[in-house]
Amino acid sequence: MPMKYDLVIIGAGPAGMGAAIIAASHGASVALVDENPVPGGKLRGQVYKEPKANWWIGQEIARNMEKEIKQLGVTCFLEREVWAIYPKWKIMLNNGEQLESDYVVLATGAIEKPIPIPGWTTPGVMAIGAAQVMANIHRVKPGNRVAIIGIDALSLTIAYDLKMAGVDVVGIYLPPFNEFSLDKSNPLKMIAYLSSLSHLAPNPILKLLGKLGKQASVQKLGVNYYPPFGMRVWGIPLHLRKAVVQILGDELVEAIKVTTIDRSGELETKQEKRIPVDCVCISGGLYPLVELANVAGCAFVYVEDLGGHIPLYSDEMETTQSGIFVAGNSTGVEGAKVAMAQGELVGAIISNRLGLLKHGTELIKQAKEKVNVARKNAVIKFHPTIESGREKVLHLWNEKAVK
Amino acid sequence: MIQNMLICRCEEVLLADIVASIENGAGTLKAIKMETRAGMGICQGRTCRMLLEQVMDFHTDINVQEANNLSYNNPVRPISLANLSRSGKDSEP
Ligand SMILES: Cc1cc2nc3c(=O)[nH]c(=O)nc-3n(C[C@H](O)[C@H](O)[C@H](O)COP(=O)(O)OP(=O)(O)OC[C@H]3O[C@@H](n4cnc5c(N)ncnc54)[C@H](O)[C@@H]3O)c2cc1C
Repeated sequence: MPMKYDLVIIGAGPAGMGAAIIAASHGASVALVDENPVPGGKLRGQVYKEPKANWWIGQEIARNMEKEIKQLGVTCFLEREVWAIYPKWKIMLNNGEQLESDYVVLATGAIEKPIPIPGWTTPGVMAIGAAQVMANIHRVKPGNRVAIIGIDALSLTIAYDLKMAGVDVVGIYLPPFNEFSLDKSNPLKMIAYLSSLSHLAPNPILKLLGKLGKQASVQKLGVNYYPPFGMRVWGIPLHLRKAVVQILGDELVEAIKVTTIDRSGELETKQEKRIPVDCVCISGGLYPLVELANVAGCAFVYVEDLGGHIPLYSDEMETTQSGIFVAGNSTGVEGAKVAMAQGELVGAIISNRLGLLKHGTELIKQAKEKVNVARKNAVIKFHPTIESGREKVLHLWNEKAVK
Repeated sequence: MIQNMLICRCEEVLLADIVASIENGAGTLKAIKMETRAGMGICQGRTCRMLLEQVMDFHTDINVQEANNLSYNNPVRPISLANLSRSGKDSEP
């Protein structure tokens, strides 16, 4: 027998929990589903010092939200994967349970893109996010000598996490140019990208590169003068002129093969060097996890600034399927505070639809403002042009509405 | 050497197989999937879907973002037959 709720939320990350807290505090009966044994999503792996303020300790924030959820009587379905959504709306859990609701929030977050390079399926190679989960959540070192491939906000953050965990990070390298790495293998493009992320970054290397790379001419100089032996950040060599062309090892990772990139961007294959490591982390960026919106029949748009294919949504975060809302990274990749604020916004909107709010319009307006403020002050930006991506979606939505 | 990288781990499909399929005339992601089985394994293409897009983008003039004709199908996560049967008949769309 299906269990009925006013609202079913899929994903207990900051977005899903934010939505659950707001809706339940206004009196809605809420079910919250997540595949993990503990709520929190990617929030649980995050630990960093904010520029002028305190430490952001994701696990603590997640625990506090979990307490609030329990006090408010939200029903949590943990260690359950949602495998289907049928109209209108039945949510199928993989242990055979079924939930039913007129309102569904998809807060399924984002997942990592791999960058295949020769040897990438050798045991001991992992996505950079896995290393974060091991080090920050489970307190296990992913390896003793770790190489990181792929330079971006996430890999720099996690390099620091690993360093704090006592791992010897032998270096952060570029991937070689291939079908999958494209611009991510180009030193010039990487300096430009890093500088665009740097304005508020908690992390000194991003600030430094920001100064280095504000103008195209400086960017070029930057590559020319960027020492081929790298630059050290917290003792970790950051190599913008070296690519890992192969990961070596039969049963387990044993070493990486590294080649210098010359000033024109070509690989100097004569200069190959073998560096022993026991773990390799690949960082290829994030993209929204949208499979459930897809099977629910939501219309999709492709917006590069948001991380790729996303369900088209209105200024009330509703998809083209009435009753199905989206929040958090499944609408575009951003930091945890933005995701949380988006969740709270959706919580308010749905409470209003359920007729639970007296001053709905005002509350929703405030919640929207909170999202904007969080976005403006974000310490971590995965896409430099996120704002224009958000505007693009609203534009596409309005166009569709006119048709 | 690069062409020997595994792209679909579940079905053990190499980059070379995918490129060959494109060279033999596969003009859509679905055609590649049907020919090579890439994306048809237990993870349902969660890892290689995006990689197939990228291979196609790299080796053809097709605008893959617009032409992507791979669908998502229920179940989006693996489910045991025992639990599937517990879901009952009323779960059919
Ligand atoms: C590897 C990684 C590292 C990151 N590191 C940082 C960082 O250091 N700092 C930062 O600000 N941001 C980071 N982010 C961005 C992060 O996604 C956001 O900070 C924030 O956690 C997004 O919140 P969310 O609620 O949208 O999604 P998430 O926090 O991702 O939560 C989504 C939840 O939904 C669950 N779920 C998805 N599909 C299903 C399903 N079918 N059935 C059941 N459960 C499901 C997931 O398991 C997950 O628990 C990282 C993201 C990733 C992927």
